[in-house]
Amino acid sequence: MPKRADLKKILMIGSGPIVIGQACEFDYSGSQACKALREEGYFTILVNSNPATIMTDPGLADVTYIEPLTVEAVTEIIKQERPDAILPTLGGQTGLNLAFFLMKEGILSRYGVESIGASVDAISRAEDRDLFKQAMHEIGVKTPKSGIATGVEEGMKIGLDIGFPLILRPAYCLGGAGGATAYNKEELEQALASALEISPVHQVLVEQSVLGWKEIEFEVVRDCVDNVIMITSMENVDPMGVHTGDSIVVAPSQSLTAEEYLQFVNLSKKIIRKVGVTGGGANIQFAQNPDNGQIVIIEVNPRLSRSSALASKATGFPIARVATKLAVGLTLPEILNQVTGRTTAFFEPTVDYCVFKICRFTFEKFPQAERVLNTSMKAVGEAMSIGRNFKEALQKGIRSIETGRFGFGADGKDRVKDAELKKPAPALHREIQQKIRVPNDDRLFYLRYGLKLGMSVDELYDLSKIDRWFLDNMKELTELEAKIGKYRNARPTGAIKLPADLLKTAKANGFSDVQLAHLLNSTEAKVRDYRKRHGIQAVYKLVDTCAGEFRAERPYYYSTYETENESVPSGRKKVVILGGGPNRIGQGIEFDYCCCHASYALREEGMESIMINCNPETVSTDYDTSDKLYFEPLTFEDVLNIVELEKPIGLIVQFGGQTPLNLSVPLHRAGVKILGTSPDSIDRAEDRKRFQQLVKKLKLVQPENGTASSFEQARRVAGVIGYPVVVRPSYVLGGRAMEIVYDDHDLAGYMEKAIQVSPDHPILIDKFLEDAIEVDVDAIADGERCVIGGIMEHIEEAGIHSGDSAMVLPTYTLGAEILEQIRLNTAALAKELKVKGLLNIQYAVKNNVVYILEVNPRASRTVPFISKAIGVPLAKLATKIMLGQTLPELGFTQEKPIPYVAVKESVFPFIRFPGADAILGPEMKSTGEVMGIDTTFGMAYAKSQIAAGQKLPTQGSVFISVKNQDKRHLVFVAKKLQDLGFQIIATSGTAEALVRNGIEVEVLPKIHEGRPNILDYIKNDKVDLIINTPAGKATKEDETKIRSHAILHGVPLITTLAGAEASVNGIESLIRQPQMQVKSLQEYHRDIGVRASLYT
Amino acid sequence: MKGILVLEDGQAFAGLSVGVAGERMGEVVLNTAVVGYQELMTDPANAGKILVLTYPLIGNYGVAGKFNESRRSWLAALVIKEKTRICSNWQAEDPFDHFLAEQQVTAISGIDTRTLAVKIRDQGEMWGIVATKPSNPAALLKKLKAHKEHADQDWIREISVSRITKIKGPGKGPRLGVLDLGVTHSLVQQLKHLAREIWLFPFRTSAEKILEAGLDGLVISNGPENDASLPEIVPTVKALLGRIPLFGISTGHQIIALALGGRLQRLKVGHHGVNYPVRSPASFKGEITVQNHSWVVDADSIKARNEVAVTLQNVNDATIEEMENEALRFISTQYYPSSPGFDEIHPVWSKFTGMIAPEKRS
Repeated sequence: MPKRADLKKILMIGSGPIVIGQACEFDYSGSQACKALREEGYFTILVNSNPATIMTDPGLADVTYIEPLTVEAVTEIIKQERPDAILPTLGGQTGLNLAFFLMKEGILSRYGVESIGASVDAISRAEDRDLFKQAMHEIGVKTPKSGIATGVEEGMKIGLDIGFPLILRPAYCLGGAGGATAYNKEELEQALASALEISPVHQVLVEQSVLGWKEIEFEVVRDCVDNVIMITSMENVDPMGVHTGDSIVVAPSQSLTAEEYLQFVNLSKKIIRKVGVTGGGANIQFAQNPDNGQIVIIEVNPRLSRSSALASKATGFPIARVATKLAVGLTLPEILNQVTGRTTAFFEPTVDYCVFKICRFTFEKFPQAERVLNTSMKAVGEAMSIGRNFKEALQKGIRSIETGRFGFGADGKDRVKDAELKKPAPALHREIQQKIRVPNDDRLFYLRYGLKLGMSVDELYDLSKIDRWFLDNMKELTELEAKIGKYRNARPTGAIKLPADLLKTAKANGFSDVQLAHLLNSTEAKVRDYRKRHGIQAVYKLVDTCAGEFRAERPYYYSTYETENESVPSGRKKVVILGGGPNRIGQGIEFDYCCCHASYALREEGMESIMINCNPETVSTDYDTSDKLYFEPLTFEDVLNIVELEKPIGLIVQFGGQTPLNLSVPLHRAGVKILGTSPDSIDRAEDRKRFQQLVKKLKLVQPENGTASSFEQARRVAGVIGYPVVVRPSYVLGGRAMEIVYDDHDLAGYMEKAIQVSPDHPILIDKFLEDAIEVDVDAIADGERCVIGGIMEHIEEAGIHSGDSAMVLPTYTLGAEILEQIRLNTAALAKELKVKGLLNIQYAVKNNVVYILEVNPRASRTVPFISKAIGVPLAKLATKIMLGQTLPELGFTQEKPIPYVAVKESVFPFIRFPGADAILGPEMKSTGEVMGIDTTFGMAYAKSQIAAGQKLPTQGSVFISVKNQDKRHLVFVAKKLQDLGFQIIATSGTAEALVRNGIEVEVLPKIHEGRPNILDYIKNDKVDLIINTPAGKATKEDETKIRSHAILHGVPLITTLAGAEASVNGIESLIRQPQMQVKSLQEYHRDIGVRASLYT
Repeated sequence: MKGILVLEDGQAFAGLSVGVAGERMGEVVLNTAVVGYQELMTDPANAGKILVLTYPLIGNYGVAGKFNESRRSWLAALVIKEKTRICSNWQAEDPFDHFLAEQQVTAISGIDTRTLAVKIRDQGEMWGIVATKPSNPAALLKKLKAHKEHADQDWIREISVSRITKIKGPGKGPRLGVLDLGVTHSLVQQLKHLAREIWLFPFRTSAEKILEAGLDGLVISNGPENDASLPEIVPTVKALLGRIPLFGISTGHQIIALALGGRLQRLKVGHHGVNYPVRSPASFKGEITVQNHSWVVDADSIKARNEVAVTLQNVNDATIEEMENEALRFISTQYYPSSPGFDEIHPVWSKFTGMIAPEKRS
């Protein structure tokens, strides 16, 4: 069937900011979709609020809107662009929900827009719990016993009928948000309330728990002539009860018989037909009783999903590209499989390896949250590894996740030492059992402890319900570990005696050199040397979609230890780019964006680009982003192996965030050439002592500071500087373990925790500049010249992590002199550090003094934001500089002023961590960002808030409760709100200050004083905005309650004074201009004379 | 114990012996299916082959009697990457180890099956020898070459039922026969849902004898290809064409082509797996099929006979996957018309039963 000729213009909806449950997999799928649509000649319009994506690069779609993903904004875009169709299946749950609401509100029909990829009916059948259940029963597919509730009472009745334990699933929610397991009446009541609240349609499915059953997933694709193919099966190592986004997953399934496999395939085909996907993909999740094979369906996602991204990367089959082409009416046999280059998309991929997916968690950022896994997703990122067996994939996966571990334990980093396990204390024994029974992010290692304690596979199974097959594989690893341990040296200086065949077995089962060094009491370097002397080296095999049956044109590679290497280096000049690994808070899609740009730039310059990364969600691990892709962990050993094979002219480490940067010095020492800014310059910026000397040399101003390796030292430094001080470890990202400390007592507590963060590096102590304005600068330099990309002013005051702070470009309160000072300082630093590439500097401005806080000679989180705001692809230019070009040659010699305002706002995962306090501080907590762009600050800020899910009200009541020192400033905010027609609510303290200034206030009792208090108001929807700045320990309990209720009930919450001021500004703009204006990025760029060709 | 595979071009692959000791020779064929090792080992079409499974982890879910496709494993030898230590599935009756021992399978593991697969893909299917005793590859090669010269693929004789065997169906439907060249159990299972009575005929049953039974249709079954018995079977089928509705499956399909005067061709690398796309030359609609064959019907040799309609082609290489002729009342498939799952019937069976007079169908 030829593609549809009746469609000309297609609108694609992106997934918005990175949040838990919806991450850069949708940039990957959206980018592929944009490319696919344009390949077929369609005029493509894209809307996404997330500037850190490749898909919002102006070259990718014909027209790109960075606007909030709301019905209102998208309606404006539809009015303006008049698309023939909307493609909502590539933008995650956000895209799907948005399309659904556009349909419900009649927008699609009014403007004659067809929903392609998934019809509205199909969406309803998959998403509406009632319709879904009914549809499944019609085709004889069993669902767990369940009922749908729209109220707590109804839910209680259903739940009691089914019996405990119960699973709750709110309708139209992503990543199992609001999902919960209830074991008793009390838990059920609580969980029902929050699940109903979180569901945009106030509907929740109360479901029979199938805890402990196998969780099996299938990725299915169907075209308009009813060809159906299976992309792959996936088996969750963690059985039912843990959200699949948090589970360890293997592909293909390992423990299904051929007959069972066929049954799942058969069901999957029936289901995708029944749901009615007629040109696209679906992810189908099943639960299977491990004792009798009984199968029930859990859910269907009739769209691209995190699992489909994983399935794509696991098999090489580009699901998003294919699904997009199917959406415009092509059929599978008409689409070429670009990986083989000789077969079509009408086939089922098969693999000759084992894929392992493991998640990255971030509990350390939310210490109050309970450290357990359940049906509400908590992972912020994931890594995928590939091995020729499960054991190898498992160990590589653990390395890939970058939590400082080098395999399945035995790397010297085990929390429970082997000696303790020999004669375990009863408490330890209990702890190990507990950690195996209750799913948590450390369970793998506890399984190892269990095995080392001598627990049998059956015992472990009884506790965890993890399939015995996986457990026995883990057991094999501990046995192998013990065998290797027999050759342990008495002294680290001793020669390695491990027999070569055992070494080879160890490597083939994924043991890293670091683990071997630990087990043999040797060093990584010695193990490597010994290994190479015995000719035991990594070989690379292909991901080729077909298990070698066809020769592949565009495969990608993974390492293993076997006989033949299939990765033949070309004779071309090549450069290796180190990617950013799994997403985490502080290192996410922004860095992947930069890595992709590096690859594009290399290819433009005729250089072979080689990407190393292990994050399956990203564009950088797409099969066609680079000339060659290695799906490998980003460790010294794994990277060096590739470098030794490929012999590139150099490595790019500036773009992947801290991961590659941390590798730069050891790789440099190992003789690997690092392109761009030298590792020595990087070290001068990262090492505090050397940095101080640098600042002194350039006569710049730094907040008073010092370093310390012990509490005593720290106290001395703090004494000299004076409290408050900012304390943090060196060489970390995202403000990990960064705190503002006000006294010795807190300092002591901090030092205890912090030493573990980075034992090789001391703690940094800086004077905290209270109420200073923070400024972020991104610049580019070629070793001689430096050009500012942008100077961004933080909305929130100093002390809030820059990754969490809203930022505005251009600055809006800084004077010309200060800006000039900042420019001069930036240029001086760039020159002194001989920066070749990107440079990010954080400044603080207080009393007209420009303090320098931090210099990062690498890509920063804001590079994509600035690139989009000013229309200059900074990362691409930086790459070309690393290859030897100069800024004048690249035509970028002057800072680009913009006649509009761009605001970057952060998005937080508080709702995923019940119990965690929703306040901002020096430790970064946001998972993603949005961009608001408009002609005025107020409107740009308002858009950024709306895009971030903070629905600024234009009328109603505002509750204000602030700390004493903010009260004076707040009067202005409150007054303004009152003038805008808002009612002000406050508790006595704040109220007093406001009343004194002539503001009418409704006074509420404090929470512990009486009712109705603010919590009742929140629950009863009687408050539309909450301004609450944390006052410190005394009132913390009350405040935490207010904040967490606000988060749960979706009441906009502002926790800083500066945020309140900006929000009032935004509210005013919204009131003044009720009709939101939208404008494409291309138009903005045209206004400032950007050549479109820069991006293509 | 060590084990080794030596290919006829001399390349050797060293591994470990995980089955019974021995020295076995045969054609090396790949199979790219991820699951189904037991089914493949007991599929008579693999008789005498050295089967290489490209999926690296084998034995995971054990074995169970009901998954046998015939009464035993017919392999010369099995070559795999890793035999997993335990099996885990509620259906497992026995671990894979026991199966290897009980079926007397010579098997080697620890082989870089990826490299082996790529080699076969590039150079074509070839012969090999698997040995479990410490042996000199050169000596093994010599033995292999000597053996190959006189190798006679004569498996159907051994596999086919020795006398007419009747199987009862559900009590409804037509009475069907199967000319048994190595029919797989799962196909017979499907037939049981279709027919009230099934007669399995030994491969050398004459056409007259078959017709005497007064059946409503006959399946020329799957089984080993290029077998010594084919010259004997082709005339039988030729005599049956047009006289009784026929359904040729895989090797049976090839035999029908030969009976029509067509020719067979050997593929450089056969189709062995579960992911082969086929579609009608006239539309974009098709399906993913299970296949296990190295020979195909030469399209040109059949084209000359315009009474034959090619209804499905392989999407990758355009080879004939399904053909039929209304006048001669036959349909044949190169692919296996496997059950889609549970107890369901592959849709092509209804095409076959459609050739049977309506009053006999039910």
